Amino acid sequence: MLARHAEDLFWTGRYLERAEDTARLLDVTYHGLLEGGASEAGMAWQEVLDALQLSNLFRARHRHVTAEAVEAFLVLDESHASSIAASIGRARENGRNVREHLSTELWEALNSTYLELRAEGRAEELAAHPHEFYRRVRSRCQLVAGAAAETMPRLDAWRFLLLGRLVERAEMTCRLLRVRAPRPVGDDHQDEIHYWLVMLNAVSALESYARRFGAEITPARVLELLVLSPEFPRSVLFCLRAAETQLGALEGGVAAPSVRRALSRMRAELEYQDVAVLLERGAEDALERTRRGIAQIAERIEACFFATGPSPERHVYESI
Amino acid sequence: MLAGERLPYERAFGFDEAVDSDCRPRPHYAALFEELARLPPPELASRERLRDAIFRRLGITFAVYGDSTGVERTWPMDLVPRIIPAAEWAVVERGLAQRVRALNLFLDDIYTGEAAAIRDGIVPRRLVVSSNGFVREAVGIRVSHGARCLVAGIDLVRDGDGTYRVLEDNLRTPSGISYVLENRAALARVMPALSARHRIRPVHHYASSLLSSLQSIAPKARGSKPRVVVLTPGIFNSAYFEHAFLARQLGAELVEGRDLVVENHNVYARTTKGLERVDVIYRRVDDSFVDPAVFRPDSMLGVPGLMGALRAGNVGLANSLGCGVADDKAIYPYVPALIRYYLNEDAILPNVDTYLLWEPDQREAALARLHELVMKPVAASGGYGIVIGPQATEEQLEICRKEILCDPRAWIAQELVQLSSHPTFIDGRLEPRHIDLRPFVLAGERIEVVPGGLTRVALPKGSFIVNSSQGGGSKDTWVLAEPEVH
Repeated sequence: MLARHAEDLFWTGRYLERAEDTARLLDVTYHGLLEGGASEAGMAWQEVLDALQLSNLFRARHRHVTAEAVEAFLVLDESHASSIAASIGRARENGRNVREHLSTELWEALNSTYLELRAEGRAEELAAHPHEFYRRVRSRCQLVAGAAAETMPRLDAWRFLLLGRLVERAEMTCRLLRVRAPRPVGDDHQDEIHYWLVMLNAVSALESYARRFGAEITPARVLELLVLSPEFPRSVLFCLRAAETQLGALEGGVAAPSVRRALSRMRAELEYQDVAVLLERGAEDALERTRRGIAQIAERIEACFFATGPSPERHVYESI
Repeated sequence: MLAGERLPYERAFGFDEAVDSDCRPRPHYAALFEELARLPPPELASRERLRDAIFRRLGITFAVYGDSTGVERTWPMDLVPRIIPAAEWAVVERGLAQRVRALNLFLDDIYTGEAAAIRDGIVPRRLVVSSNGFVREAVGIRVSHGARCLVAGIDLVRDGDGTYRVLEDNLRTPSGISYVLENRAALARVMPALSARHRIRPVHHYASSLLSSLQSIAPKARGSKPRVVVLTPGIFNSAYFEHAFLARQLGAELVEGRDLVVENHNVYARTTKGLERVDVIYRRVDDSFVDPAVFRPDSMLGVPGLMGALRAGNVGLANSLGCGVADDKAIYPYVPALIRYYLNEDAILPNVDTYLLWEPDQREAALARLHELVMKPVAASGGYGIVIGPQATEEQLEICRKEILCDPRAWIAQELVQLSSHPTFIDGRLEPRHIDLRPFVLAGERIEVVPGGLTRVALPKGSFIVNSSQGGGSKDTWVLAEPEVH
C-alpha cells in the first residue's frame, strides 16, 4: 500500500487510542476524587498532566491546576494535539485521507464520533455530566475499533491501524504507571491503595485484577497485571506481542527485520522480567526506559515503512 | 388532478418534466404522484431528516470555494426523482455516444493526426491554437483506442418544447458521478416504496465499466491486471469525496503527486514495500498540474517527469492531456460540424444557438441584444462568470460589453434557454424548479453511456443556475427499463 496511506492509518489508530485513554484517565480521576477525598484534588489533576507529559503546555494556557481548567484543556481545547476533541478530529482527518481503505461502516463510526463531539452544547454537557460524557467518548472509540475489527480485511491497512493503537496504548500504560510509580514500601497506605484502584479502573482492569489476585491491592500485582500480563489486553506485554504479530505479517519494508528485532528484544525482556526485581531496582526508571523504547520503535516503524523511495528534493527533473 | 387538496402543484412557464400543459401528470410520472400523495407532511419531514442523516453520516459533503464559514456542506438531494422514459433516453444515449466519439476523433486529429479538420476548414486554426485547453506538449502522445477523453460529462438542458440540447461539454475532469451513485442508494433507502414501483436501469456497475475503460489504455505489455491509481489534488479539493469514492470502488490507490516518482521514464508509487510501477493514472488534477517540471515549477500537485513517461508510452493517462481544446466554449459551436465531418452523420442532440463573438457580424448582432442573451467566458466552468442578460443590471451588461470588445475570443453569447422545470420539495410543498442533466460517457474499447446522470436543480425560485458550487441541489435520475405501461 502507499507509504503515505500507511502513515495516515497508523496515526488514525494512535489518535483514536489517545482519545480513548485520555477519556478513561479523566473519568477515573474525576470520580476517584469524588469517592476518595484523602488525596488533594490539585495534586490528582497535576498527576494527570504529568502522566500525559503536558504540564508545560498546560501552564502556557492556564494559571491554576483546577478540575475545570484541566478538563477544558484535555477535552475540548483544539489548540493542541492531545485533547480528546483534537485527537478525534485528527483521527477523522487522517481517516478521510485514506477513506478508500476504510470500510464504510468504519468510516461512518469515525465520522459520527467526530460529529457528535462537535455538536453544540458539548461544553455544558461536560460540565453537567462528566461521567456520561467520558463514557460516551470511550464507547464511541470502542465502536470505531469494533467496526474496524469486524469489517477490515486482515491486510496491511488493518495492520497499520492496529499497530498505531497498540503502540499508543503501550506507551500510555507506561505513562500512567510512571506518575506514581509503584514502590516496594508503603503498600498499606490508604491513599496509595485508592490511587491504584483508580488506575486499575482507568484501564478497565479492576475486574481482571480481582479475578486473578482477589480484592487485596498491592503495587507489585498492579504492575504484574498492567505491564507483564500476557492475557490482559491493555498490558504493555500484551500490546508488544500483538504489535510483533502485526509487524511480522506486514509485507516488505526494507529495514523491517531490524524493527522486528528491536520489538522482539523488548518483548522478551518483559517476558523474563521479575516484578520483585523490577520494584527493587526502581519501577519508575524501568517504566520510563520501556516507554522510550516503545517510542523509538514507533519512530523506526515510521522510518521503515513511511519514508520509502527517493525524497522529492533529491529527484532530478527530467528534461524533455 | 394535481391541483387537488393533497398535492397541489402549479407548473411554471416553459416545459415541465412531470406534467403537461394542462398540469396533468405525464404517464411516466403517474405512479410517482400517487406515491407522493400518500406522504403526510410530518412523514415527509421525517424522510428529509433521514436523508440528511444518511448523507452526513457517510460524510457526503462538498466544499464551496470562497465560503469561509464551513469547510463542508451536506449534499442537497431532493426527494422527488426525475424520470426519463426508455424511448426518450434511447435517443439521448445515441446522441451522447455520437458526440463523444466525434470529439475524441477531433482530439486525436489535433494531437496525433494531421489536423485534418483544420486543414479542411471545419474549425479555424487560430481558435484551436489560442485555446486555453490546447496543450502543445501533448502533440505526438498517442492514446489507445483514441480514448483521449475517457470520461466525459455532457451537460444537457431541455428547451421550451422539451427538446434536449447540449449546453456544454466537460471533457477535462468532469465530476458528479459519485453523487449519481450515492443519490440512487440514498433515495432507495428514504423512499423505498417509490423505488419499488418502477423498473429503474441500474447505475451501480459504473466502477467496473470505468475500470475496464482505464485498463484498456494501459501500455501494451503490462499483463491482464494493469495497476490503476487515482490522482487527486488532495483533501482540500472540492471533489475530494468523489476521488476517494471512485478509488475505493475501483479498488485503486488514491494518490497525490508526492506519492508518485518517475525514474527512467517509468512511473512508480511509493509504497510500504518500496517503489511499485503504475500502469494507468486516472487523474483528477488539471492539465497544468500534471507535470510541474513542464507546466508549473511552483506546483506541488503534479508528478515531475510524468510527461517523459507519457511520451515513452510507459503509462496511460485519463483523461489525456489537452482535452480542454475540445470543450472550449469557442469550439462548441463547431461540434455539430465536427460530427458531420468525422462521422458523416447529423448531430442527434442539437446545440443551444450560439453567437461567435470573434466574428464581427455576429458580435454586432449579439451586442445589440445583450439584455436578452446569456454571455459565458469560454475558459471558465462551474457557472462562474456567466452573465444572464434578462437578469443582469445595466451596469453589469455594460461591463460585459466592454470585456467582450476588449477580448472577443474570450466570450460566447447564447440564446437564453428556458430550462425545463421539475416538481421539487420546497419547505414541504411541491414547486417547479429549473433543472439540467449531466450524463456521463465512458470511452475506451467502446463507448458506454451511464443511464441517466446527475440532475441538478436551481433551488431559488426562477433561477437558472444549477451548479452545486452556486447553491444548486440535485435529484436522483431514473431511466426506466422498458416502455412504460399506460
